[in-house]
Amino acid sequence: MEEQTRKKLEERFGADVSNFVIPRPRRMFVDVPREKLVDVARFVRQDLGITHLSTITGLDAGEKMEMLYHFSTPGLCLTLRVRLPVDDPKVPTITGVYLNAESYERETMDLLGTKVEGLPPGRRYPLPDDWPVGDHPLRKTWKKAA
Amino acid sequence: MAKITIPLGPQHPALKEPGNFLLTLEGESIVGATIRLGYNHRGIEKACEQRNFLQDIYLLERVCGICSHSHTTCYLGAVEEIAKLEVPKRGLAIRVLVAELERLHSHLLWLGVAGHEIGFDTLFMYAWRDREHIMDCLEMVTGNRVNYAINTVGGVRRDVTPEMKDKILKTLTVVEERANYYVELATQEVTVLARCKDVGRLPNDEAVRRCAVGPLARASGVASDVRKDDPYLLYGELDFKVITSDRCDVLGRVEVRALELFESIKILRQVLNGLPEGPIAVKAPRKVPAGEAVSRYEAPRGEDIHYVRSSGGEKPDRVKVRAPTLANWASMAYMLEGGYLADVPLVIAAIDPCFSCTDRAIAVRGDGQSGSLDWDSLRRYAREFHRSRGVDFSNVPGRV
Repeated sequence: MEEQTRKKLEERFGADVSNFVIPRPRRMFVDVPREKLVDVARFVRQDLGITHLSTITGLDAGEKMEMLYHFSTPGLCLTLRVRLPVDDPKVPTITGVYLNAESYERETMDLLGTKVEGLPPGRRYPLPDDWPVGDHPLRKTWKKAA
Repeated sequence: MAKITIPLGPQHPALKEPGNFLLTLEGESIVGATIRLGYNHRGIEKACEQRNFLQDIYLLERVCGICSHSHTTCYLGAVEEIAKLEVPKRGLAIRVLVAELERLHSHLLWLGVAGHEIGFDTLFMYAWRDREHIMDCLEMVTGNRVNYAINTVGGVRRDVTPEMKDKILKTLTVVEERANYYVELATQEVTVLARCKDVGRLPNDEAVRRCAVGPLARASGVASDVRKDDPYLLYGELDFKVITSDRCDVLGRVEVRALELFESIKILRQVLNGLPEGPIAVKAPRKVPAGEAVSRYEAPRGEDIHYVRSSGGEKPDRVKVRAPTLANWASMAYMLEGGYLADVPLVIAAIDPCFSCTDRAIAVRGDGQSGSLDWDSLRRYAREFHRSRGVDFSNVPGRV
C-alpha cells in the first residue's frame, strides 16, 4: 500500500512531492511545498480515499518550522510535511478539504506562531484570551515570562 | 420566536470538566452552538521537551486520569520505534492486559455517567460497583488504581503471576455476567430507550466528514478501530470484532460500548491463557537516536495519536499528543444543533470526555487523631456501617 500510494502521488504531482520516507510498514512521510498543500490534501481525500485527518503537528526545527499533516486509513498513516521559513510562517488552511483541521490549525497558530491563511473567523485555541500577542511557547527560543 | 444565546460553562453543574458552549436557542431548541476549549491546557507538550524520555512517561501518564495507560503506551510505541527496541512478547502481552482492563473500567465508568445524566442513578451505582472489580485487578497487577506506572522504555515494570491470572479470570466471569445485564438494559429498558433514542444524531456521512473516532464513530456505522486498522502490541494476532451500530444516536453509543465489554473480555482471556514466557522488558539506553515516529493507539475513547522526534539526546525534541476527545469535538456542534437544551449534558457525555477520579480516604477524627485507611479496611468499614443500619450487601448479585 505504501509503494502504491507513493506511485500515485508521484504520477500526479511529479517533483512537487519529494523526500519519501517509509520507515516501517504502514508509515509514510512526504514533503510538500506550501503552495501545493491544498491540492495534495484534496488528492489524498478524493483520489486516494483517505478521509481521516488524525491531527496536525507543528514544530520548530531551528532553521525551519514544520507542519506535519497526519492522515490515516486502514493500513496506512500518511504524513505530509510542509517546511516553512521561520520569518514567514504562512500556510494555507486545509479546512476546505478536511473540516476538522480547524482546531489543529488554531493550535499551531497559538503555540508555534504559524500564520494559517483562510481560516473562518473564530475563537483562539488553546491559550487564554489575555495571552500576550507574539508569545508562542512551542518556539525553541521561547523563554518563560518572569 | 426571538432567539437568545446562553453560555453553558466553563463552570457548570452539568459539566465535569471546563468547556464553554455558547448555545443559541429558539425556545427549548438549539439552533446554533459554538465551543470554546483550552481551559485545561497544562503545557504538557512543552514540559515533555524539558524532561528526558523516561520522565516523560510519568508526565504523559497524567494527560488523562482514565486512559493513562493509553497515552504512555502510545508514546512508547513511537520512542521504541525510533530507538529500534524490540519489546519482549511477554511485555507486550502485559501491556495488552492493562489496556483492555482499562477499556473495561473506562466503559463501565462511562455507562455509569450516562445513567446519571439520564436520571437513572441506579445504573450509575451498579456500573460503578462493577467497575470496582476491574479497578481491583488493575491495582493487583500494577500496584496503582489510576496512574498505573506499569510501562517503561523497553517493556513493563511488573510481571503477572499465576495467582493474578486466576483472580482476573474469576473476575471476568462476574463482569461478563453483568455485561449481559447492561446489554439487555441498553436495548430494552424503557427509560434508557426514551432518553437516548434519536438524541444527539450524527449520521454516517457526517461522522466521516468530521473525522469522528472511537465509539462515537462506530455508533454511526464507521468501522474504525486502530487495533484492526493499524495493529500494535499483539492485536494483530488476537481474535476480536469491531463493534458498530447504525443507530447514529446516543442509544447507539450505549450499545457499542456495552458490546465492546465482551470483546475486551474475549481479548483478556486470550492474553491470559496464552501468556508468552520470557522477560518482560529489555534494557533501554538513556539516549534515543535521532529520528521521528508516529504512533497510533485505540484508547477507550478512540484513536490516540502521538508524534515524537528525537535529535539523538536524552530529551525529545518534540512530543505531540492528540487525545481522542479533541478529535470528537468537531462533531459536537453538529450533534447539539437541532436538539433540546435538556439533552445537552447527555450529548456531551455521550462522547465520553475525560475526567479524573480519586482514590483512598484519610480518616480525620475530632480528637485530633488521624490516619489513612487502606482499601480493604474502608470496604469493611462501609459494610459494617450499612449492616448496623439494617442493610446487608453480602447477598447482592455480582459480588466476586
